[in-house]
Amino acid sequence: MSQTRENVETEQSTGGHGGLSASLKAAGRWFRRAGVSGQLLTLLIVAAIFAVGTKGRFLSLVNLQVILSLAAIPAIIAVGLHQVVVLGGIDLSVEGVVALCVVFVGLLLRNKVNTNDVGFWIVPIVIGIGGIAGFVSGLFNTRLKIPSFIATLGMSWILWGLAVYISRGQTVALLDTRFEVIVTGNVFGIPILAIIALAIVVVLQFVQNGTRFGRYLYAIGGDETLARQAGVKVERIKMIVFTLAGLFYGLSAFFLSTRLGGSQAITGNNLLFPAVTAVAVGGVALTGGIGGAKNAALGALIVTALNDGLILMHVNPYAQDAVNGAVLVAAVALTIDRRKLGFIK
Amino acid sequence: MSSEAVITLRAINKSYPGVVALDGVDFSIHEKEIVGLVGENGAGKSTLMKILIGLVQPDRGNITLRGRPVTLKDPADAMHYGIGMVFQDGTLVPNLTIRENLFLCHEIAFQKLGFLLSRAMRDTARELLARVKVEVDAETPIAEVTPAVRQMVEIARLLWLSKLYKQENPILILDEPTTVLTEGERETLFSILQSIKREASIILISHRLQEIVENSDRIVILKDGRNVTEMSKANARIEDIEQQMVGHTFSADRYREDEQRDPGPTEVLLVEQLVRKRAFEPISFSVREGEIVSFVGLVGSGKEEVCRCLNGLEKADAGTVVLGGKRLSPGSPGDAVASGEGHIPIDRRSEGLALGMTVAENVNLLVLNRLKTGGLISPAQEKSNALRWIEECRIKTPSAGTLCANLSGGNQQKTVIAKWLSSRVKLLILDHPTRGVDVGAKDDIYKLIRRLAQDGIGMVIMCDTLEEDIGLCNRMLVMKDGRLVGEVPCPPRKKPSPQDIIGLIV
Repeated sequence: MSQTRENVETEQSTGGHGGLSASLKAAGRWFRRAGVSGQLLTLLIVAAIFAVGTKGRFLSLVNLQVILSLAAIPAIIAVGLHQVVVLGGIDLSVEGVVALCVVFVGLLLRNKVNTNDVGFWIVPIVIGIGGIAGFVSGLFNTRLKIPSFIATLGMSWILWGLAVYISRGQTVALLDTRFEVIVTGNVFGIPILAIIALAIVVVLQFVQNGTRFGRYLYAIGGDETLARQAGVKVERIKMIVFTLAGLFYGLSAFFLSTRLGGSQAITGNNLLFPAVTAVAVGGVALTGGIGGAKNAALGALIVTALNDGLILMHVNPYAQDAVNGAVLVAAVALTIDRRKLGFIK
Repeated sequence: MSSEAVITLRAINKSYPGVVALDGVDFSIHEKEIVGLVGENGAGKSTLMKILIGLVQPDRGNITLRGRPVTLKDPADAMHYGIGMVFQDGTLVPNLTIRENLFLCHEIAFQKLGFLLSRAMRDTARELLARVKVEVDAETPIAEVTPAVRQMVEIARLLWLSKLYKQENPILILDEPTTVLTEGERETLFSILQSIKREASIILISHRLQEIVENSDRIVILKDGRNVTEMSKANARIEDIEQQMVGHTFSADRYREDEQRDPGPTEVLLVEQLVRKRAFEPISFSVREGEIVSFVGLVGSGKEEVCRCLNGLEKADAGTVVLGGKRLSPGSPGDAVASGEGHIPIDRRSEGLALGMTVAENVNLLVLNRLKTGGLISPAQEKSNALRWIEECRIKTPSAGTLCANLSGGNQQKTVIAKWLSSRVKLLILDHPTRGVDVGAKDDIYKLIRRLAQDGIGMVIMCDTLEEDIGLCNRMLVMKDGRLVGEVPCPPRKKPSPQDIIGLIV
């Protein structure tokens, strides 16, 4: 199979005009085509630079554990978000969904404000709330027929408002410590949270490769009209994808509030940007149809490692933000398929 | 052929607003035969095929499958009866592999416990591809294979689906299958079709009459939505078919030849050594004032690319384009328009018109600068300019404020022409100006084109049919495989015949 692919590739690359745009195209093609090898290479380069820059501290066991444990939650969020991107849309609702879910965690587990205690049931409840939120975003998108970015941006603010309203803007301290081990514990030196994230990625990747759902997801991302013609039930797949995204956000909310030992609506803030960056850096094309769960998760790992390294090197936090912004733009420039865009808007 | 008819369509009628597409057409397909379906653009071929695959419902008429009446409510339904079509532009999803596309939406045949059996799929894919002689690996994404392979994959998919639905004699419809193929690929396609014929029926639509005559067992000719005639392979001659396709309505002055004028002395457009790699080799030509120059050639001859380089939509690798004495900067549509070059695109809906804007707004789009009073656009001037051009171009619209989306195709096209006319262009590139336009509006457009020429506007034109090219132009440039291979003058009443030109084209 590599025979034919290489033939086509060389043919195409000789056909382009010289200069920046051609090399950008070639790099982008390689980045997309190569599955995750581009991402693994990026990760290696990032690690090598920081290993030198921090005189080895970056590669210490403790720091690697920190990176894995910090990357887990962004990875779960990115994995939820990336399937919407594969469809050719975008999901901006994560901050609102997490805010609402976090507030529910605070109010339903043993806490300092009321007498509720649902115990372990909190996990299905909070995942369920996230799932419902995703389902409603899906309805906005498929029934009201509004673009996913508006459907989910609106949803985010609706849920954020609800979260603040329900919690009256207060922070609720948790008294329940049973779940703390999940976010702090290690098994064989590997953070439990990272193992959970890995399990999710592996399962979802199998589903994407080996089921009809996965096939239809990529068919829609490739060309929605053609997929519909072939008989794909496009709306149903979209509903599943938005709902799954919500489920993952709900789960992340549970981990976030457990790690904080309390809950407040603003826990959701600043989750969107890293997730979108992770999805793009992981090689999921914003034009849809390309990239899987493993890409989203690797993207989250790269972004986390990058920020961890910058902190170790004492880079000014504002400069870090600027670096992250540049990384997002660069990643999208490499992965986006411009032939699919009629106009750049 | 003598065998049993698989499917019969009888007295099929279908009208669209303003056009009767099919008027009492009969059509039947027998077992194991290849039927050639021919007719000019607009003869009703594609509507008939759309009815056959359930994409369009007939207004009247009935369809029987082996004697039993059926309704084909959608393409999936038609596929259950073993009827499927390979479309010109393809229906395969580009980012999925050949294998994934082969089984798309019918993976259930390979499913176990919710997961797909990839080995079984791979084996079946290999078998299917071998049958249509495709040697490319089934794991290659569709975006990376040639149009020929895509076509074969579509055929393989249709054959497999018919088998899945237990249809013993599937019906494959191929719409212009050879336009995207090379000579060698064309031969392969037909040898495969002959082998598929042993277990299927094939409907072949093509403008290349040669291949229709060579490969069909029976030829059905449609004209203006009616059956003209049917002939068997034995007594089919290309000249007869052409005659039947065009019919007797070929009026002496269909293209308003009498109004054709000799071009003026000045050269409006001067192209020298223009070249674009992998599209066309260095080409030089000029267009004089009021001259209509027609580019003819097959798909892939490079004529489309030359025109796209002229109006800046594509960037030429080398060479110069001089318009009215000014050298155009390559790859800049803005510069082309500013220098007085107009473009009437083939797809007016997406490129030529802002459909959501009114007729007046579209007409005035390029001349807003001239319609100002005291620095602001004056509504009164806007209105008077729009009304003037609506009148001159005979745009049939309820008012200047009507949205272009609500006009017929012909009137939309007239609006596009009006827009360029009012902007005082020097050169106009017309890309299939009468495509999808009914007969009456066609004549209006020919009239407009003649008027443009009288006003001294040079034109580069590419038409739907060779006859139209010959009829309209002063001079014809023939392209083949990226090279300019001939130049044929077409003065009024001394026009060459299509047969003279066709030899140069193919």
